[in-house]
Formats: sequence, structure tokens, C-alpha cells
Amino acid sequence: MTFSHLLTRAVHINRAGSRSAFTSSKPDTANPNWLRVGLAFGTSAFLWGLLFKQHSSDVHEYKVRNGLQ
Amino acid sequence: MGFVPDEGKSLAPPGIVNRNSVWLSGMGWVSAMLQNAINHRPPLKSGVHRQVLLATIGWFIGYHITKYENYTYARLDRDMNEYIKLHPERFEPKEKKTFAEIVEPFHPVR
Repeated sequence: MTFSHLLTRAVHINRAGSRSAFTSSKPDTANPNWLRVGLAFGTSAFLWGLLFKQHSSDVHEYKVRNGLQ
Repeated sequence: MGFVPDEGKSLAPPGIVNRNSVWLSGMGWVSAMLQNAINHRPPLKSGVHRQVLLATIGWFIGYHITKYENYTYARLDRDMNEYIKLHPERFEPKEKKTFAEIVEPFHPVR
């Protein structure tokens, strides 16, 4: 069999272009893993909050040290 | 990427929007879209939680990198200026000549 023939067959069998190194089951794109989605959004919100808090404390520290406030 | 010691805290902190943040969050977003593309998923519409998370992580790391970068350059500038102050003999201002003194007299041949 030619190389391209093997590849064209593969496209029908496995729609993914990559695979997990840890699990062997096909990723289920119809049912999202809501826990992971929630964790991802929650972590993002947490990081943004942390960033804004850090920034405001940096600004405050700067003003205090330079006698502006 | 270390954390800024005490003396660096009197520097003006970088804004929330800064060069490194924008770049690294762009990198995170592009890598999420690349992962979508590799797995034959619609690049922009799928895995929005992944795109948001990676962009956020990039933005966060970029802010701290910018802070450390500002501190490093401020420290280098301070050390350089102290050295210049301690060794003025190495930094004499050069004697300036005007062009009139250097250039030969002009005799037009018309």
C-alpha cells in the first residue's frame, strides 16, 4: 500500500490529529467535561483577581515609598 | 524569573497592560488554537475555556516578568551611574571643535 493510501484510510478511522499519552479512549467532543471547564474558568477568574490585587498593592507600595500618599 | 527584592518596590509598577503580558497571553491563546487545529476542531469556537485559561496564565506571568525586567534595568542603570560618579577621570567631556576649525578653506573653481 502506498503511504498516502494508508493515510487516507486513517482519516476516516481517527478524526483526531493527536492522541493523549495517558488515556487510550477517544476524546468525546459531544459531551464536554463540565468539571474541567468550570475549573479552567474558575482558575482564570482567580488569576485575574490575583493580578489586580497584586497590581493595586504594588501601586500603593510605590506611592507610600515615594511619599505620594 | 525571580521576585523583586525590597529595594525594587519603590519603582513604579508596570501597568496591567504591558508588553510582556500582551505577548505571552497572545502566545497562550495561539497555542490553545493550535491544539484545536491539530485535533481537527474549529480553532476559535471550541475549547474557549482552554483559550481563556492559557491567555490568562500568559498575562499573569508577563506582568511579573515586566516587573522583574524593570527592576533589573533600574539596578543596572543605578550601578552604572554610581560607577561614573566614582571615576570621573574616565569620563572627561571631549573637547568640541566646530566644523569651521577642522575643514580646509574653500576655494571655489568655477
